Amino acid sequence: MQNNIIITGVGGQGVITAGTLISDAAIAKGLKTVMSEIHGLAQRGGSVSVDVRLGNAYGPIIPEGEADALIAFEPMEALRNLKRVGKKTIIIVSTEKLPPISLGIRRMEYPDINEMMENMAENFTIYPVDAKKLAMEAGNYRALNVVLVGVAISTGVLPLNVDDIIRALERRFSGKLMDINMKALQLGIQAIVPGHVETH
Amino acid sequence: MKIEELLVNETNIELFLLGNEAIARGALEAGVMAATTYPGTPSSEVGDVLSGISRKAGMYFEFSTNEKVAFEVAYASAISGLRSFVFMKHVGLNVASDPFMSSAYTGIKAGLVVMTADDPSMFSSQNEQDNRHYGELAHVPVVEPSNPQEAKDFLIKAFEISELERIPVLFRTTTRVSHMREAVKLGPVKKELFASFFEPDSGRYMTLPSSAYGNKEKLIEKMKRLSPVSDKSDMNRIERYGTGEIGFITSGAAYNSLMDVINMRKLDATVLKLGFTYPFPENLVADFMKQHSKIIIVEELDPILEARTRMVAQIKKIDSEIYGKLDGYFSMSHEYSPDTVEKSLSEILGFNITQHYANVMIEEPAPRPPVLCPGCPHRATFYAVKRAVRMLNLKNVIYSSDIGCYSLGTYEPFNEGDLIISMGSSIGAASGFASATSQPIIAFIGDSTFFHAGIPALINAVHNGEKMLIVVMDNRTTAMTGRQPNPGMPVKASGELATEISIEKIARAIGVEHISNVDPYDLASTLQGITAGLKYHGVSIVIAKRECAILRDQKMRKEKKWITYNVDQEKCGKCMNCVENFSCPAISLQDGGIVINPNLCDGCGVCAQVYVCPFRAIEVANNAK
Ligand code: SF4
Ligand code: SF4
Repeated sequence: MQNNIIITGVGGQGVITAGTLISDAAIAKGLKTVMSEIHGLAQRGGSVSVDVRLGNAYGPIIPEGEADALIAFEPMEALRNLKRVGKKTIIIVSTEKLPPISLGIRRMEYPDINEMMENMAENFTIYPVDAKKLAMEAGNYRALNVVLVGVAISTGVLPLNVDDIIRALERRFSGKLMDINMKALQLGIQAIVPGHVETH
Repeated sequence: MKIEELLVNETNIELFLLGNEAIARGALEAGVMAATTYPGTPSSEVGDVLSGISRKAGMYFEFSTNEKVAFEVAYASAISGLRSFVFMKHVGLNVASDPFMSSAYTGIKAGLVVMTADDPSMFSSQNEQDNRHYGELAHVPVVEPSNPQEAKDFLIKAFEISELERIPVLFRTTTRVSHMREAVKLGPVKKELFASFFEPDSGRYMTLPSSAYGNKEKLIEKMKRLSPVSDKSDMNRIERYGTGEIGFITSGAAYNSLMDVINMRKLDATVLKLGFTYPFPENLVADFMKQHSKIIIVEELDPILEARTRMVAQIKKIDSEIYGKLDGYFSMSHEYSPDTVEKSLSEILGFNITQHYANVMIEEPAPRPPVLCPGCPHRATFYAVKRAVRMLNLKNVIYSSDIGCYSLGTYEPFNEGDLIISMGSSIGAASGFASATSQPIIAFIGDSTFFHAGIPALINAVHNGEKMLIVVMDNRTTAMTGRQPNPGMPVKASGELATEISIEKIARAIGVEHISNVDPYDLASTLQGITAGLKYHGVSIVIAKRECAILRDQKMRKEKKWITYNVDQEKCGKCMNCVENFSCPAISLQDGGIVINPNLCDGCGVCAQVYVCPFRAIEVANNAK
């Protein structure tokens, strides 16, 4: 068994934490897990991505086309990573736009988001999610990553279930923060598959 | 994971660790008593962890002024009888190479391991030098782990080798090992209290020609004795897959990518996986070659294992076919992903690769290069410098930059960075430009970099009477590597109080007469200071002092003083200056208007000043959170 997940976004959005959350849950389940963390030059605001590999992988780099899922915290970052994914890759994308400064410098605006999604949908299975709205609803923008992990769980693309993630959250958070993250997870799970989700 | 978890003294548990965290744990298990470093990616997290746990672990730890000093402190500890560990990024070893080279001659008393974190593909570096060469150059053993588990376990073995022959050992990781996470099985923490006492040992450590002469021979003898140790080391192992027909020799991160390909393609392979690579395990490799008619060497960067393998084949007259970089199959540049390894193997073994990726034509989105954070004081400084240069109508300005977050000033919209060559070089190169040209020169240097290697260059510039403006970007931390303390701060790595070193006093003592202190968040006074500095004939310094935005964030959030700014659309004159020329990532153009993203805005208030927004349309948002 091998399950490969590329998580990508903008530095400061909690991309790496999303990777460790999934990894923690997988390890607790007895899955061999490797993850790569590449820190570029910028502390915040640059493109970041994390590869998470569950199962019988050795190295932390997902071979081209082998990703089962691409979880993008930002639409442009989803596009940027399309060259790494394959036909089977499921793409989950947060629709919040974070325009890079290279646009403003040229007095340009962010490309039309609906068009971006349509282009992607022509070739891939994509799940656009207003993760920002759901995170704010859960109580904190910073819970964006947990919302997106929730979405990924609900698609069934990860070999993990809700309880695995809840346990991983419990090892990390308590009190009010735990409540916010639990809510974010639930909202993420319901975002694309309406109704009740089985927990085991 | 909380870093305190690394202190547990249980052996039957696994933690999900970054390579660098595993190395920090390895230091505890090896019984390291003294550890030193200068932060540098990809080695930085080792120091972050050790600074957090060293006191509880009873270990001495410091962020030293630079790598050379770090090395000297660790070396002195090792010759006083304490197991010592010094770690740095690959280019840091260049700085430390002077004492490193000679330490091999004198030898040490307790173990000394020197970690170099190399950066194939240059994710955060200026070059991708292969520091395994330092092993051969200095005549010291080299150990290369492939993953976090090995990183921890091999570090302990590196100390054993070091003490076996009383020789420093080079411990070489790469970005993909240091920044790979996996579950790591812990071993027992070594708690031995060494009595440390320095004995001169009849001048053994005096590297005067008289003793160095004899020390060289002793060093060569030590390395000779370590050769059979390397042959038998369990860091060098053989793995067999399928019929095991093709022989592979590999090390480090390249092993991981090779294994992924062997797995994916179900290759019949025998893999000689080397972890103790210098002295080269000649007999082991010779025996391995004799059993395989085809040998493929998979290693990143320079053909070091390959050259030695070919030497062994030549000396021992083994006629296996050998494939690697020297015959053009593998690249000498950049890291090896499973895809690059597969591609080279397809040429050697003659198989076809089916394209895995979707290959969908979608336009590449606008670039998102690394940027200064929202609220970063450097943005304000660069903005002010650009304005001052324009106001004074200076032409052909040379921007001599340096290593730190402010190196990002080289990107648009500021374009204030013409060269960066090494730590502290902004001032040294500025001296050279001042004597070689008559162009205006502005050097940018951060606080940590100033302490690291800027001071000798400043002495040089003042002594020789050059003309330049030096802007010290003092953000009160070593920001780019994750905010480690430096000598300009009143705290040590451990959190204890320390003597704060004043950059201004150093500059005055050196003889710099024109110094202004400015707060970059106050654009008016920053502009004034920079303009005055640019007009001065001689070495002038502007110290632009304001803490790194991330540090400030943490404080503001704690004190619940967090504010954000927004744009009053009525007042906004749509001049676009804020997005075009100031370019804080929180500000963008949307639906024809300027908007500030409240989740990104840091509340620094610089964009609200008239120099950025002439219409005074940016103001504090009342939705303070
Ligand atoms: S980490 Fe600090 S110094 Fe570096 S870009 Fe961000 S705010 Fe500026
Ligand atoms: S106040 Fe202005 S410059 Fe400062 S972080 Fe917010 S938007 Fe950026």
